[in-house]
Amino acid sequence: MRVWFRQHLFALKSAWSHLSVSPGNFLFNVLVVAIALALPIAGLTLIENVRPISSQLSIEPEISVFLQPATARADATALSVPLKKMLKDANVSARVNFVTKDKALAAIEETSSLAEVLSTLGGNPLPDAYVISLSNTDAARVDSVAQQLKTLPNVDVVQVDSAWVKRLAALVQVLQLSLLFLAVTLAVVVIVVVFNATRLQVISHQAEITVAKMLGATNSFIHRPYYYTGAMLGLLAGSTALGMIALSLQPLNQAIAEFAKLYASEFHLIPLGLLPSAALLAISTILGLCGAFLSVRRQLARAN
Amino acid sequence: MIEFHNVSKEYSRDVYALRDVSLSIAPGELIFLAGPSGAGKSTLLKMIAGVERPSSGTVSVNGQDIGKLKAGSLPYLRRKLGLILQEQKLLLDRSVLANVMLPLVVTGASGAEAENRARTALEKVSLADKAHALPQALSGGEQQRVAIARAIVNRPQIILADEPTAFLDRDNANKVLSALKAFQSAGVTCIISSHDEQFLDKASRVIYLSNGVITDSWHSAIAA
Repeated sequence: MRVWFRQHLFALKSAWSHLSVSPGNFLFNVLVVAIALALPIAGLTLIENVRPISSQLSIEPEISVFLQPATARADATALSVPLKKMLKDANVSARVNFVTKDKALAAIEETSSLAEVLSTLGGNPLPDAYVISLSNTDAARVDSVAQQLKTLPNVDVVQVDSAWVKRLAALVQVLQLSLLFLAVTLAVVVIVVVFNATRLQVISHQAEITVAKMLGATNSFIHRPYYYTGAMLGLLAGSTALGMIALSLQPLNQAIAEFAKLYASEFHLIPLGLLPSAALLAISTILGLCGAFLSVRRQLARAN
Repeated sequence: MIEFHNVSKEYSRDVYALRDVSLSIAPGELIFLAGPSGAGKSTLLKMIAGVERPSSGTVSVNGQDIGKLKAGSLPYLRRKLGLILQEQKLLLDRSVLANVMLPLVVTGASGAEAENRARTALEKVSLADKAHALPQALSGGEQQRVAIARAIVNRPQIILADEPTAFLDRDNANKVLSALKAFQSAGVTCIISSHDEQFLDKASRVIYLSNGVITDSWHSAIAA
């Protein structure tokens, strides 16, 4: 165990001393790999920020039935009976939720900057409403049910809410798939860059490698420093990429805040959390290690 | 200890480095491989170290057939040997001491042990005061003695030296050969190739090669 540890420590020191001979080359390679990694990390950051919005919203079709503002509470609650009968006659499986005007106002005050605007109006301008969540229902039937609900007494507006949510969910899915393809392509780029950097290192150290082999060094002993160099390159590049994205979010958020204000919303992008960042660093390190592994083995096999 | 049975090495059609060589080297001998350039001396040494494989015949070291050794086993063979081959220059980016420590680092020795043994090896070749110098600051003879120190630091059973006195003046050449003779006196088998025949009287046995064939072999009366 001690011998193993010593040899790995020696390999790490060797890797470090090789890097310190030409730090410029190493840093340049780090930058190239960081740029390659930054694109999928930026995409992932965007998706991770958009995903909570999408997942908070139900993608089940929802119909909101807004009652006329003047409808008495007793009439509003009594409407649930014919409403449920209508859904049953239409063979539709649904959850019906009665949202009073007070509940609706409270919800808006919690989540939106419209609360201040509403308070200036005096009183509660919102109507009572029924929110109907449909399951396993196709779009045509949703529309048919919506048309029927309009015929109920005291109903003011019937709104089908789920279409744009579905679009958002579909868009997120497309983005995820595109991101996956991009990530795979750029992972190959990372491996190729590290492969080439390692190849050049091995060529420049050929004399040292020959001497080490004559002195009884195993292939593992010779390969190890290059594996560490590749892993360090990957790790540093991953860190740089994460740093670049985190820094770029600041000016971006300023622009997004201005845009979101126009829609009376507050939205900003946050950097990836600790766990996803750690996973990305592990992946970039492994990619660096893969590139070095493939290069060293190929180069030294050719030399033999 | 070292045996060659009908060993030939063919590089391409009709280009032989060694032809049907058979010899036996006992432990503790000081062997000189003599002959002109291209006689096959270096190839013979490289075969013992497993750097070259015979095209036919067998080379065995302590009963182990080198030709059949897997690539993964060769490092462990070489750790028992002290090699001073022409391709094995000192590494110029590290000190003399670090160069001599390298064989021990490769085997996983601790830093302290490697340093102690390296200093002892440098003392044996009278270069203890040059431990922290860079190789390029040393003369040719001193560099060769450092190479010897590196070769013996692992306490090998066999030392193989390929033209260790090449490009050295008489005085330095004598120092190098004296160092090797001292190790042989301690029981280490030394096989030295050289086309410089002025040192043949220092060997216990001389094997003369020409065109890949052993043409003569004799025991040195003076060394005996």
